[in-house]
Amino acid sequence: MNHLESWIHTPVAKALGWSLIHFLWQGMLIAFLLWMLLILCRPREARLRYALGCLALFAMAASFGLTFELLLPGGHAAIAVPARLALPVVPPGAAPALDVRPLDLKLALPWLVPLWMAGVLLLYLRSLASWIAVERLRRTGVCAATGDWQERLRRLRGRLNLDRSVALLESCLIDVPVVMGFLRPVILMPMGLLAGLSTDQVEAILLHELAHIRRWDYVVNLFQNLIEGLLFYHPAVWWVSGQVRTERENCCDDMVVKLKGDARGYAAALATLEQNRWSAREPALAASGGSLMKRIHRLLQQPEGPRASAAPILAAGLLLVSLGVAVAGWQNISTAAPKPVANAVPLTQREPAEAPAIVTPLPKKAPVSLVAQAVPPTSDQSAPVNGIETPYLRWMHEDVAYIISDEERIAFKHLQSDPDREHFIEQFWMRRDPTPGTTVNEFQEEHYRRIAYANDHFADKIDGWKTDRGRVYITYGPPDEIVSHPKGGGATSTFPFEEWRYRYIQDVGNDIVVEFVDANMSGEYRMTSDPSAKDALLSKPGPKYFVVGEVGRPGAFPLVTPTTVMEALVLAGGFRDFANRSEITIQRGAKTYIFNFKEVVTGQNRAQNIPLEPGDQIIVK
Amino acid sequence: MPEKLPELPRPTDAELEILTVLWSRGPSTVRDVHEAIGFRKATQYTTVLKLLQIMAEKGLVRRDEKQRAHIYEASQPCEWTQRQLAGDLLQRAFSGSAKSLMLGALSARKVSKEELAELRKFLDEYEGGAR
Repeated sequence: MNHLESWIHTPVAKALGWSLIHFLWQGMLIAFLLWMLLILCRPREARLRYALGCLALFAMAASFGLTFELLLPGGHAAIAVPARLALPVVPPGAAPALDVRPLDLKLALPWLVPLWMAGVLLLYLRSLASWIAVERLRRTGVCAATGDWQERLRRLRGRLNLDRSVALLESCLIDVPVVMGFLRPVILMPMGLLAGLSTDQVEAILLHELAHIRRWDYVVNLFQNLIEGLLFYHPAVWWVSGQVRTERENCCDDMVVKLKGDARGYAAALATLEQNRWSAREPALAASGGSLMKRIHRLLQQPEGPRASAAPILAAGLLLVSLGVAVAGWQNISTAAPKPVANAVPLTQREPAEAPAIVTPLPKKAPVSLVAQAVPPTSDQSAPVNGIETPYLRWMHEDVAYIISDEERIAFKHLQSDPDREHFIEQFWMRRDPTPGTTVNEFQEEHYRRIAYANDHFADKIDGWKTDRGRVYITYGPPDEIVSHPKGGGATSTFPFEEWRYRYIQDVGNDIVVEFVDANMSGEYRMTSDPSAKDALLSKPGPKYFVVGEVGRPGAFPLVTPTTVMEALVLAGGFRDFANRSEITIQRGAKTYIFNFKEVVTGQNRAQNIPLEPGDQIIVK
Repeated sequence: MPEKLPELPRPTDAELEILTVLWSRGPSTVRDVHEAIGFRKATQYTTVLKLLQIMAEKGLVRRDEKQRAHIYEASQPCEWTQRQLAGDLLQRAFSGSAKSLMLGALSARKVSKEELAELRKFLDEYEGGAR
């Protein structure tokens, strides 16, 4: 159950839920369109009407699928993100209101999907049972029809240009002719029917069944079953499906009349069939089709009596209802769909209008550098209530500074009483709780854990949570990778810096890299917008020494603490393969010193390991 | 001896097949039955003979021994099987749902009494017209 609870909050489940809701109006629309088109067609044109019906059914399935596809967030979001605490969406208008109504709908919504799935499962199980029963029917209680009937069947097949071989069987388990299968089709006749009706009439019925086979109706019916099972909750689906079935029978009837020419005889055969069915005592194990009376009337081209159809009124009423749902639905689809266009999702940051947001591609790699974001909230100089910084204001300014949205902030400031504020805070955390039903609010816990972590690890002269690293950590969570260069690194000498890599941040993108540089060598890392801020050469004209030649990282190095040649060589990345380890020179002004690495390492002549002075050049050939 | 509803055992699948042939072809000899079954699957003549004898003992078929080639006849009408099987819950469950998958000449819903009367009237007209 817990699994289910957490699954229903994944984006996949949410997309499914919204697709189901959107299908309410989509289905109505398609059904309405079909209804209009059918009115325009004449009842004679069964094939056209059948095609329209099939198209409508297909359109319903397609629109459901497309909606689901569109609502799915791209790629990565399919992974459940408990670590990142993907927040439930806060629609822009809901935050200021302190009542619980919008919350209730959001709570009930996720359970639609499991309910629907249960329904689908049941219906598909039923279909499976049907299929088993159908297979049994063709094997049990059957015997092949006599030879002359097989011959007649062959002739009829020829008239229809039907290549596939069809078996003709008599069955004692049915009381109405049925046809089944598509690879090895079988016509089942009730016991005694072949002998009971006139040959002409039996042939007409056989033609009807053969027409079904020729038109692959069995396969289409299977698909109908599948779609009915999937979208079972919408009456429009059943209506359209019924239309398809009706028109299908009409098409086959038309084929019979076309080949036999005797509509009345065929109608009489159908009537007799129905009569025989009445005499059988058992419920019919028959097939589905249209109303018999309508079919006979249609065959005899007798216009039906005008019947006050409830369909138009029903359709209009349902259309109104579904339009209402549609309007509500579209409002939510724009906030529910987690498209890259940032919406009122608290996880993303303020709009770039507030702060310089420059995205610079790093020269070495493809991923995008996430750059300076919104101004830290401590600059928000709102006057504290009553001149004192109350604990509530502190909560807003410190605890949730990075995760509270602007609307929530404004709403909170407008609150007058402490109970209101406490209620707001409670709602605030509830909105973000990924498991609203449980007592534990994982989001809240993780948030405070991050604050504690930041205070422990990033604090130097200011609180950990106030630092740049703290802010990023609290907002986006622990990065997937940290590349740390406490002593600098890279091809040119650099200040200590850290690279934080996030594989995916919702609504921001993939492969986000954030850089922090300790440009003041003070222990405090600042987030950088300029990749070259790392480069000491450009930004800090301080004391430097140089290491050039066959070392791992030749370049300029800041001379901050007393450094010996040995240390400098190590910092410069050690020797490369072809370095001459015994003839290293140190150029200081006009003087040249020799440094023999081998000697120094073995302990002889340690005096060569001199401390460096600014401007020294170590040359390794 | 008036038999209301004979307490006959339920036919096995093979026996049901033979019964079906007998219902379809009417009273037949073993050879006829064997030939009819042969359309669908290959069986031995002796198998069919054996089965018919067993069925005669069970009371499912009646044997007419007046002629040299015995003639077998089903003891119950075809509807009897349907009634038998209707008692089986599983069968009922299956057959109920089977409706949705099969196609055929008639719809699943039986016509009402009024419609049936209308049908009868139509048929009478038709037959009158045909003559």
